[in-house]
Amino acid sequence: MAGVSDGDAAASDSSTADDAERTNATMRGSKVVVDDVGKVYESDRQRVEALSGVRFTVNDGEFVCLVGPSGCGKTTLFRTIAGLEAPTSGEIRLDGEPVTGPGTDRGMVFQEYGLFPWRTVRENVAFGLEEQGVRGTERTDRIDEMLQLVGLTDFADAYPKELSGGMKQRVGIARALAVDPEILLADEPFGSVDAQTRDMLHQELLRIWSETEKTVLFVTHDVEEAVKLSDRVVVMAADPGRVREVVTVDLDRPRDRTEPAFGEYVDRVRRLIGE
Amino acid sequence: MSLETGATSGTGTSEAARPDEESDSVSTSSLADLDGTSFAYGAVGSLAFLALWQAAAMAVDRTYLLPSPVEVATAFVVELTAPTTFTVPFVGVAMPATRLTANLAQSLLHYLPGLVVGSVLGIALGVGMGWSGRLDDALTPVTRFLRPIPPLAWIVFAIVWIGIGHGGAAFIVGIGAFWINFYNAYAGVEGVETHLKEVAASLGVDDDLTMIRKVILPAATPSIATGIRTSIGQCWMIVVAAELFGAPGVGFQIINAAQNLATDVSVAYMAVISLVFLVSDGLFRRVERRVLAWRA
Repeated sequence: MAGVSDGDAAASDSSTADDAERTNATMRGSKVVVDDVGKVYESDRQRVEALSGVRFTVNDGEFVCLVGPSGCGKTTLFRTIAGLEAPTSGEIRLDGEPVTGPGTDRGMVFQEYGLFPWRTVRENVAFGLEEQGVRGTERTDRIDEMLQLVGLTDFADAYPKELSGGMKQRVGIARALAVDPEILLADEPFGSVDAQTRDMLHQELLRIWSETEKTVLFVTHDVEEAVKLSDRVVVMAADPGRVREVVTVDLDRPRDRTEPAFGEYVDRVRRLIGE
Repeated sequence: MSLETGATSGTGTSEAARPDEESDSVSTSSLADLDGTSFAYGAVGSLAFLALWQAAAMAVDRTYLLPSPVEVATAFVVELTAPTTFTVPFVGVAMPATRLTANLAQSLLHYLPGLVVGSVLGIALGVGMGWSGRLDDALTPVTRFLRPIPPLAWIVFAIVWIGIGHGGAAFIVGIGAFWINFYNAYAGVEGVETHLKEVAASLGVDDDLTMIRKVILPAATPSIATGIRTSIGQCWMIVVAAELFGAPGVGFQIINAAQNLATDVSVAYMAVISLVFLVSDGLFRRVERRVLAWRA
């Protein structure tokens, strides 16, 4: 039921949960531990087991993608990690602390952007800083830094309605990162943009990831996207939602979709999903 | 839309030309404002309306049955220039005024307080019920039951509690403003995207007041603004109705002049209401465009 590791990377066996055993030198310990998480939706007429016995870890600084067929509970799992929903059983730990609700330690990026339309780009990025009480030049500097990071300095005073989908999502990323979260959680963030923009955003996200050294947990249904971006791919299965296998993508970046090795990973993940 | 129907039913004398006028206003509003062609059509329609009105008035031998546009314009000028004084309530200072401005000031004395207080209370309850499921559950039966009662029906309580002066009229205007703003605020708050609240929570908003102030209210502003704008118009309808019971002001002049068979003066005061509505609505739209520049 729990994640079974892929053959060539036994060390990433997700069933070892919060164990410290790591062979990869770049990993600095567990950031997120998903510990035997179950989620059941019960109504008068039916009982849906959205998640069952889900276990895996995300290491500090790691880029992990969650993929799976629709209905495999990946969005439910995302929302549970974000603290927007409570698990029915098990728990999520962030830096060893159980997650009990949403918080600034987890920056969120949504497919539908979730920008505040009444705020300019700058004001959107400022939102979390205002809540943290960051003021004056410290706030301005931080905003400028974030806008530079996502390449939107020239659009600081534009309203969201004036931006393209790709630009909106970059604002979303800048806003989430402004408060310096421990981890960036993204739910199909590039699902609403065209393929060309998506490729560009992938490169940007990887650059931002390596510049900020953030941990990223990225939900997608796009297998190529998952293989292109992540250190490890958590492949989920449906009915009930569970981890089928965790695949370590052992490819150098930047990754090229046309490489045979890339294709092999994609095929393997697809087979696991059952596509 | 409802404003237009209300206005036309008030100016019953223009019944004959009404279909023309309405189709014209619909076509101009759906086209670009600065379209020269639609402006020309608008001018033609307006002139045709006036000509038809004038012809109909000339065909009727008794003036009070249908005063002509010229007679109405004359009466308007007379009312606008005839000197009188307006005593500012509470302060008691008599200020120089004309009959028209004095009557308008009388109307504003109950229109404005009723509009402001009714709107504020309506928005507050609408936001409260839109935000809190419990408050919503508790008060929905009450609001559903009270909502269909026309504001004017409350005149009985206006009379027995307050008396039919400015206070009573303001009370009725306030009830009208209350419901319009209540429903718009409620719908606005209910319609706030869940994502926005979740994003705000992930960015550190962890109490209701901050959430309402920084997310719910700004997100609901377009809907709230629509409520305010609608009530600005609707409350003029209510003002006139309330004044028919004896509160001083423009609406009282309409019925008072008609009782003296001076229907030209009545229509002149009808025109005053229309003009005041157009001006206040235009001003509010300007403010709205500026405040809601972010809207897609």
